[in-house]
Amino acid sequence: MLYLFGAFVILLLLVAGGRGFSLLFGLAINVISIIGLLILIADGFNVLITTAIVSVIILVVAIFMNVENPNTANIAFKTSLLITAVIVLITIPLEYWASAHGMGVEDQEELEGFSLAAGVSFPQLAVAIIIVNSLGVISETSVAITSGLNEIVENKPSLTPAETFADGFSVGNRILSTQTNTLLFNFFATTFPLFFLIHSLHDNFFDIVNDKLVVAEVITMLICAIGVIMTVPITSYLVYRGVKKNQK
Amino acid sequence: MNKKYLKILIVAIVALMATIFTHFDAFLYSEPVIKVESVSTLSKQKNTDEYKNTDTQVTQRINGRFLNTSKRGKKISLKNTYYQSQLTDQKYRSGQQVILTKSSGHYSVNDIKRDTVLVFSIGLVIVLLFCMGFSRGKLFTSILLNLVVYYGFMKLLINTHNSALLLLTVITALLISAIALIVILGPTMDAVMAYSSTVIATTTSILLSIFLMKLSGYSGIHLELTDFGLQPYFSVFISQVIFSVLGVILDETMDISSSLIEMKKEIKDVNEKTLFKSGINIGRELIGPLINILLFIVIAEHLNVVLLYMSNGNSIGYTFEMTLSLGFAQLLISAIGIVLTVPITSFIASKMIARRPM
Repeated sequence: MLYLFGAFVILLLLVAGGRGFSLLFGLAINVISIIGLLILIADGFNVLITTAIVSVIILVVAIFMNVENPNTANIAFKTSLLITAVIVLITIPLEYWASAHGMGVEDQEELEGFSLAAGVSFPQLAVAIIIVNSLGVISETSVAITSGLNEIVENKPSLTPAETFADGFSVGNRILSTQTNTLLFNFFATTFPLFFLIHSLHDNFFDIVNDKLVVAEVITMLICAIGVIMTVPITSYLVYRGVKKNQK
Repeated sequence: MNKKYLKILIVAIVALMATIFTHFDAFLYSEPVIKVESVSTLSKQKNTDEYKNTDTQVTQRINGRFLNTSKRGKKISLKNTYYQSQLTDQKYRSGQQVILTKSSGHYSVNDIKRDTVLVFSIGLVIVLLFCMGFSRGKLFTSILLNLVVYYGFMKLLINTHNSALLLLTVITALLISAIALIVILGPTMDAVMAYSSTVIATTTSILLSIFLMKLSGYSGIHLELTDFGLQPYFSVFISQVIFSVLGVILDETMDISSSLIEMKKEIKDVNEKTLFKSGINIGRELIGPLINILLFIVIAEHLNVVLLYMSNGNSIGYTFEMTLSLGFAQLLISAIGIVLTVPITSFIASKMIARRPM
């Protein structure tokens, strides 16, 4: 583990030079915030409120420390806050409907010897899981789209809303496909042991589509995808509004 | 414009129909499915366990009606016990459809029927995509092809009883990244360039990491803690790393190489060295956000287990060692890959682009 960490730091400093330090610093803050979140939840603080606060901290770090252009950072930050809010609003009813929280029969072996009366609300934690999962994807998407769109818009003197949206979608197209790949391949990474195990437990199509863990994974991926999709119109709108303000 | 709205309407209706269909598809199930009509709480018992966690154990009576099998339409009454925290057990609400299991004449609750919400969510994403001006054809093609490859991978994995996991993973990874690139970039030299960078960067980082882990004798890496304890641990671990880092590296190589191609278009006589340097500069900005993506995905996956460990009186250090250390090792390997991709892609792209006549 230490060797891996050492190799990572050396390579990072070799490739990124001075930027490497601020990158490491940003990552460290994110890891500490997440650990803080875990400790607070385990101590009995409300899951959703704690997650919301920590998410804002993480987004601030992820966006303002990685983006140098203040205009881009501002718009990207506003977008990611809005998207996170949208995700919360979609996730809560979907999770309530799906009841795909906690752990499944597939985890039985791991659970042996544990007291299952944990006193933590796992249905709420399921919402927190999806939000935490989406944070990285959202901040990256909003930064990529905002900076791409800003570049196009800055070179155009006159601007109509329809044009900005069209440009937003042309920038968004490629980001959407690459981001979908990231989400999909990560879905493969987490689910292949799960599918293998499910197969040995019960091999029935209907068991699989109703399985708690499978449904939880699919919903997580889909909600992250919704976040990525929604980023484009929201960013386009914010960029357009920003340009209009400057013109006046 | 009208045509566009018509399209959205048709897609929305199809999605809605599919959702409604799954709501009434109990006849397809071989296990008995009931619809919960009313629930009442029979008893509540407040427990404090040895770790001072307070939780309430609730027993509820579920009254429902069969939706399928020969007992269709008949009433049934069941008991269900759950903890308020609902880690592995479940609180049932009226209106839910619940799958039962029958063993030696007795029915017991098994699981909630979740196919309706699954289909609804998929429909929601597709409708959203149609509402916006994305070019959907390519996106759907690449997702569908990749899902087909993944399905084939799973089938082979199951048929070979997981004996050739690593080999299958490598083949699958080569296939899905090729599909993704060809669909996004088309069968061009650019795709070949991005593909070779992706493959070389991923291979290098994985081999380097395996070497480093061997060197340290896997200290601090609990391979036996892979998800669901699936064997062989090492192959499962490496396969998960390959899949999860692949998407991110693809993203990175495409970003770097397409920016360099743009640069060549603008400055015709740009030399190799300048291209390489700007490739590194572009790549630097990508490292942080990409590592962040994987960091949050890895942590989110383990939130349930982490909290279970912590609420069972384990110290923070022990909890993280048992739950997150493997995830962090996975993350570090991915991070090494992400960092290595920058010079590798810049090198390959600058060589290929500088020599290309334009």
